[in-house]
Amino acid sequence: MTLENFGKTGPGLYLRSPSGVIGAGLLVLLILVALSANWLAPGDPLDMVAQPLLWPGQDMQFPLGTDSLGRNVLAQLIHGARISLLVGFAAVLVSLGVGIVVGTLGGYFGGWIDRSLLQVTELFQTIPTFLLVVVVVAIGHPSASIIAGAIGIASWPSIARLVRAEFRSLREADFVMAARSVGHSDAWIIFREILPNALPSVIVTTSVMVASAILIESALSFLGLGDPNVVSWGSMIGAGREMLRTAWFLTALPGAMLVLTVLSLNLIGDTLNQVLNPRLRGL
Amino acid sequence: MKKTYLCALAMSVLTFSLPAFSQPHQGGTLNMLVEPEPPMLLSVANSSGSTVKVTAKVVEGLLTYDNSLNPKPLLATSWSVSKDGKEYTFKLRKGVKWHDGKPFTSADVAFSILAVKKYNSRGASTFANVTDVKTPDAYTAVFVLSKPAPYLLAALSATEAPIIPKHLYEGTDIPTNPYNNAPVGTGPFKFKEWKRGSYIVYERNPDYWDKPKPYIDRLVVKIIPDAAARMIAFETGELDLAGETPVPLADLDRVKNNLKLGIETRGYSYGPTQTRIEFNLDNPYLKNLKVRQAIAHAINREVLKSTVWYGYAVDSPTPITPELAKYHDSTPSPYEFNPKKAEQLLDEAGFPRGANGVRFKLVHDAMPYGDGFKRVGEYLKSALGKVGIEVTLRTQDFPAYIKRVYTDRDFDFTNHSISNLSDPTVGVQRLYWSKSFKPGVAFGNGSHYSNPEVDKLLEQAAEEQDPAKRAELFKKFQRIVEVELPDVNLVQLRRLTIYNKRVHDHSIDAQGLNGSLADAYIE
Repeated sequence: MTLENFGKTGPGLYLRSPSGVIGAGLLVLLILVALSANWLAPGDPLDMVAQPLLWPGQDMQFPLGTDSLGRNVLAQLIHGARISLLVGFAAVLVSLGVGIVVGTLGGYFGGWIDRSLLQVTELFQTIPTFLLVVVVVAIGHPSASIIAGAIGIASWPSIARLVRAEFRSLREADFVMAARSVGHSDAWIIFREILPNALPSVIVTTSVMVASAILIESALSFLGLGDPNVVSWGSMIGAGREMLRTAWFLTALPGAMLVLTVLSLNLIGDTLNQVLNPRLRGL
Repeated sequence: MKKTYLCALAMSVLTFSLPAFSQPHQGGTLNMLVEPEPPMLLSVANSSGSTVKVTAKVVEGLLTYDNSLNPKPLLATSWSVSKDGKEYTFKLRKGVKWHDGKPFTSADVAFSILAVKKYNSRGASTFANVTDVKTPDAYTAVFVLSKPAPYLLAALSATEAPIIPKHLYEGTDIPTNPYNNAPVGTGPFKFKEWKRGSYIVYERNPDYWDKPKPYIDRLVVKIIPDAAARMIAFETGELDLAGETPVPLADLDRVKNNLKLGIETRGYSYGPTQTRIEFNLDNPYLKNLKVRQAIAHAINREVLKSTVWYGYAVDSPTPITPELAKYHDSTPSPYEFNPKKAEQLLDEAGFPRGANGVRFKLVHDAMPYGDGFKRVGEYLKSALGKVGIEVTLRTQDFPAYIKRVYTDRDFDFTNHSISNLSDPTVGVQRLYWSKSFKPGVAFGNGSHYSNPEVDKLLEQAAEEQDPAKRAELFKKFQRIVEVELPDVNLVQLRRLTIYNKRVHDHSIDAQGLNGSLADAYIE
């Protein structure tokens, strides 16, 4: 299967899957909410605007209530979408960048390059992801870009190993042999022949990695290690935790947003897996 | 028939009209909380808050204090101060034995006071003027001072100046002596076991000098790091007693509605907690008095009290809290909540709003100790944003915070709490005295404030023997710093003790739960 072929058949197959459509729909909706946050909920969502601990529906000006400092929960949820998605996608871009380069070099060239890169990859894999993120954030200062970078740095090994495995099997494939016999350069073979064919599995992994990056960011913020100047669903849960028994909506609402986001990404990942995996398509 | 009925009625009226007095009696296990886990179990070489909570169970001081901070006899039965204030004579209690059976004598007192002076960070300043402790006989100790120290009598509690056994400490390195973690004292409870990360067990000292005290057989001090879990421990009866507002403030309604549990506010007069904003006066914006005045005008103390601290705080616009009533200056802050005036002052100071509505930017560091100070920071960001000062919050762990503010001085302004300790000379002077600006020393003069008049007032108060004159000096000092604003004093926190109602007489003196608990008993 070539990239052109994937472009022709992929979307059609994807749209035939209801769970894929639901997942994509949810994600598009969340992205729209995040993009229009300043318009939907103008002003700083961390501003204390009302009486603290209003319940949802108690005052229609604040339909989802207020937290213990009198901040608008709806505005925080909307702005929280922004930071969660931003950190999630940015982190995965970082790990894709590092992972693909490392995996490609190691998998394609093999030999000492592969061995040394593999050792670096294993070194990173031995450190628990979350701890590494905490350490990087503690060394720098907690801001969205550092957190995204830290998550990316901590999670690239899985991409690298995946790409490396694909390259190792594909570099002996017939079409690669053919390209090599025609005299194409390494760069041509990597970028035009192998990489497009390795991409499907990477894309499937990516959607799940975005979800886990969002969860890592939330966990950081929950522990109070996130950026204190922006709202994140994790920090909302962390702040609402003490009120769990008196004002459960403060933890349940951002929790539900996290569930929806992670669910949408998982649905997309599953569907992509079915669409892009030749074996599952029965080809 | 009728008669018996009446009689029964009379009886029931009688029983109901009498308050249900229960008598102290021996027995039972008391479960109390210490949080965070103490680094040591004895405050001779460590003055951290959680060490102070457990010290007095095992060791005793020369004196103890009632709720109005009047000294009461403990290991000292009587005391006198010479006219010039340079000699303190203590008559010691006879027949007191250490937990290992050795007799307690004046040699222990002399050894302990000099050890505290040398190894305890607070003792170093409290006992700075003490040059020697003489022991004319086994039951007399005489403190010899180079200069008068009118605050000395307030600092002889078990926690500030613990009397430790000389025979177990002499010739050893006191800060690392193993008895710091398995203390031997003269107090009501004997140390039994410390299971790190979990609990500390103390057992009743049957040979305690003040018989029939103590009443409790076993004292289990539990370490429960999560505030919500502590609330559940109270509800299930696994925890009987905990101080310093141990449960989430949002859960206090549950405590109030629980018939088994009670809330106590007494027992905190020994070291009330003041919260404040400390400015870095070397900052180009904050060195301008008008900017500091504007910030003071932009803060609504009502919101701080009612929302940020859930109603458990008292106005305290001056460095000496209302709880130290003798010295507190009750003049209201000259800077009432008035955002318009704040904006006007900032305009006058030469910082007009820019195109985006921002006058200038500041970074705020909240003390990373519980959620409260973070919430104060979030409030400040919101309140100062409204008058055009854009505040960025910065977080870090506790050691990094201390280093940033007190060593590197790489901060704009911070909010934290500070204890008044037993006396303003000990607890407050360090914050404003120009000579206590020493980068590297935590909780000193972090603002870099320097006013010769304030220095003079503080130095005079440190030596003034006449209580009325001393109070006047402190009030004068407060009025100056209240106007000059090297810091903005916010509120005094009202700390709450949560207790199971089966526990009685636990908060009867100035130290409350930090005291010995010799009087506490279980119904």
